[in-house]
Amino acid sequence: MSDKLRQIVGLVLLAALAGSTYSCTVASSNEEFFGSTTPPARNILRYVTGDEPESLDPAISNGQPEARIYMALYEGLVEYNGKTLAPDPALAERWRINNDSSEYTFYLRHNGRWSNGDPIDANDFVYSFRRALAKETASRNAYLTYTLKYAQAYNEQAVFVRDPATGQFLLAKDFDDSFPAEPLSSSPIDGAKGEYPSGTEGPAPETPFHRQMHTPTRLTLPGNEKARVKMLDANPKLKAAVTGKEFVPVTGKDVGIEAVDKYTVRIYLVQPAPFFLGLLAHQVFRIVPQQVVEKYKEAWTQPEHIVTCGPFKVKFWRPYDKLVVERDPMYWDAANVKLDEIDFYPSSDNPTIMNLYKVGEVDAVLNHTVPNAWLDVVKEKKDYMNGVEASIDYLLINTTKPPMNDVRVRKAFNLAIDKDAWAAWRRIVKPLTAFTPEGIFPGYPQPKGEQFNTEEARRLLGEAGYPVVKKSDGSYSCPKFPVDQVEYIYNTQESNKAMAEWMQAQWKQNLGITISLRNMDWKTFLNARAKLDYKGFARGAWSADYMDPFTFLSLFYTGGENGTGWQDPKYVAMLDEANSTLDNKKRYELLAQAEKYMIDAQPVIPIDTGSVNWVKKPYVKGMYPNAGSLFPWKYVYIERDQAKWDYGTPSMAAD
Amino acid sequence: MLRFIVRRLLVTIPTILVVITITWGLIKLAPGNFYSGEKKLPPAIEKSIREKYGLDKPWYQQYGKTMWGILRHFDFGTSLRFEGQSVNTIIRRSLPVSAAVGLLAYLLALIVGITTGSVAALKQNSRWDYSSMALAMLGISVPNFVLGPILVLVFSLGLYWLPPSRWGGFPSRNLILPVLTLSAIYTAYIARLTRAGMLEVLRSDYIRTARAKGLSERDVVIRHALRGGLMPVVSFTGPALAFLLTGTVVVERIFALPGLGNYFIQAALNRDEPLIIGIVAFIAITLLLMNLLVDIAYAYLDPRVRYQ
Repeated sequence: MSDKLRQIVGLVLLAALAGSTYSCTVASSNEEFFGSTTPPARNILRYVTGDEPESLDPAISNGQPEARIYMALYEGLVEYNGKTLAPDPALAERWRINNDSSEYTFYLRHNGRWSNGDPIDANDFVYSFRRALAKETASRNAYLTYTLKYAQAYNEQAVFVRDPATGQFLLAKDFDDSFPAEPLSSSPIDGAKGEYPSGTEGPAPETPFHRQMHTPTRLTLPGNEKARVKMLDANPKLKAAVTGKEFVPVTGKDVGIEAVDKYTVRIYLVQPAPFFLGLLAHQVFRIVPQQVVEKYKEAWTQPEHIVTCGPFKVKFWRPYDKLVVERDPMYWDAANVKLDEIDFYPSSDNPTIMNLYKVGEVDAVLNHTVPNAWLDVVKEKKDYMNGVEASIDYLLINTTKPPMNDVRVRKAFNLAIDKDAWAAWRRIVKPLTAFTPEGIFPGYPQPKGEQFNTEEARRLLGEAGYPVVKKSDGSYSCPKFPVDQVEYIYNTQESNKAMAEWMQAQWKQNLGITISLRNMDWKTFLNARAKLDYKGFARGAWSADYMDPFTFLSLFYTGGENGTGWQDPKYVAMLDEANSTLDNKKRYELLAQAEKYMIDAQPVIPIDTGSVNWVKKPYVKGMYPNAGSLFPWKYVYIERDQAKWDYGTPSMAAD
Repeated sequence: MLRFIVRRLLVTIPTILVVITITWGLIKLAPGNFYSGEKKLPPAIEKSIREKYGLDKPWYQQYGKTMWGILRHFDFGTSLRFEGQSVNTIIRRSLPVSAAVGLLAYLLALIVGITTGSVAALKQNSRWDYSSMALAMLGISVPNFVLGPILVLVFSLGLYWLPPSRWGGFPSRNLILPVLTLSAIYTAYIARLTRAGMLEVLRSDYIRTARAKGLSERDVVIRHALRGGLMPVVSFTGPALAFLLTGTVVVERIFALPGLGNYFIQAALNRDEPLIIGIVAFIAITLLLMNLLVDIAYAYLDPRVRYQ
């Protein structure tokens, strides 16, 4: 045997060793579950929640991995239901909502306590809401609280305009022709006799703040002098009205939340917002301990200082290693918290996570963890969690540059993608033609976008001046199309690459156009997309902040920053009209019309509705593959009786 | 000798400052922000964040503040991504993890590498020589992101012997796979360097003299040949140890270890400016110190080397 041969044999042996173990793994795919099913010795849950949390401060991070941790550590007025994500009572026992959903009164439970034993009362909510909006907090979630009256103005450090002679404030409706009708919460109390549904309690204790809120919305102007002067110069009527008046900064005390009494919180919204109750479960509305935050400033979340109010409290935290939380005996419902402890392991590397899961080092993992290549094996297992997710994948189009500024071209590229085939190939997603995820919002008449139609696609391209010709071999070509003006950008990740290549192949096959692909790191990609510093297509994905179609439709509500350059006042007006509609069915219809209007303009190409795609051991009970992958941890428990295990995705029917 | 050391240490300081400055400039040039996400933030919120972290100030003020903190208190500031965590604390906390894995791996590499390399050199062109060098070649060419998963596949997922990842404290079974993965390439290098160094030395005059004096082969090898033959290994050890101590990005990621390397790559991807600067500075300092140690070690090992 020559030495070279020996070397080769060595290599082959090594490969065979690796191969044989791999085939063992594959052979074990006949088993019911993926890997070990031995429950942990102690009454704990070991969970991978994604990347290392940015902060344990619920006002700071807008990430989903953090949201799950915040659900263990903090509570708000309401909590997500484990199956439906609808708001369940939490620190608020019950609530009352006025007739146009613009005023909410919450009645707190009297036994709420912080982890240091201090009682929780209405002032904790007032403090936490104001803090989330304060400029110094710089919360990335602050925009979610903008539905509170003057919240946006406070967050943006705006000013009111007051007449020093009379003490009267200028009103918004006098200077804005498109200003919508005032909600009941801003209407005079006397005229609001019909404000609350009949047969319920009256509008409960009268307060000066209540009277103050029930006045027409005041005009606010930018606090920054330069911005204000610019704005006034553009509006002579406003400038004239402001002359001689004084500017009063909007403070936290102006924001529409008050502690009516020790256990009553009243919230005033700037508009009717039927989705607000569901939004309240979001992390930004969870309360933080004033004394601790003020004492330790940014370091208040360090394990030695932190005080929390959720079912669990921090026991140990070593970043990039683990965050251990234990049952908080002070928690008002501690008797019903089933687990002793949850270990959150940070990792964002899917194979690493799946390995930990398979050998039984963790009991459940976050969503989107099963790599595409593993699906064949894992999807057949009874511990695979399959469920539709409140998330969508789509492509953004830079509508400001030719040839994509032509709606016919945009439509052609949309029509040329066989989304059914894509979904079949991806296996776990559902094809999508509209902009809201399918099957998530019950009763929502989701509009249908255009279906796969290559004939029409080629016709539209021809109409736009780029005729598609059929070559002798049956393939297409589009010689006039400026391929150097269009590309497809995405952030570096295996699944994004697969999607990009798939779309590229579709366009090549059906339009004869080869779009070049370009990948970049996440932050560079975000920057390019936000600044419209790309030509053609960019990958996009969005998951719901709250369970309402508006969380998707609002991506194009705020104008220029949506990454497509598409902006339409009519669309904004349609959404405004829908949101001020009291009848929920009618509101959904109006929202659907707006959605249809938006997808017809095609600033985006919808691709699919996502899937939760995760795994949990059969002995982990009380944990459901809901559409947001958010779990009220106190209901989760370890079942040691095999007969009671979950064999398959647990039923999501409401209790 | 002392003058040499002092002089070298003094040169270190400006070098570090230049490294920090270049790093700082590169971060400023990189597109994107630590706070950017899938949905672009409203301008007012973006402004508040920039003000909170002083990113609204002119560049020279930001640079001045960074450098002042470092020069005055050796304080690299607070991480942008990890709210409220100081860079110094992060380094202090993650260094032991990286160092434990790195030092164990290097120790293993030294023992296995030097033994294998010496035997290969002494029995040149033997079966042992060829097979060990072939294996060393394999060790050098198989990257650790391939070797790591293969080891996990075999020993964790296949045989259920060892945990596939995560930090389990020191010492623990969790260390075995990352240490093996990390040491492979160093073992291979050291084996080859030792073999080459030994072969050269074994042919030199002073070895012939030693043999002629009638010393036993054992004394010739251990007292004379090894000392000279290890010179290449010593110069390799400096930078290698510096990199091992400060964490290895790939291995820490595959095995989910809370070490410096893991932080380093995440900090770069997250545009976490103070953390990147802190870790880069730390790596630079370690590297320079290790090189200095190597030079000092040279003087002891090789009588021909003298520093003025």
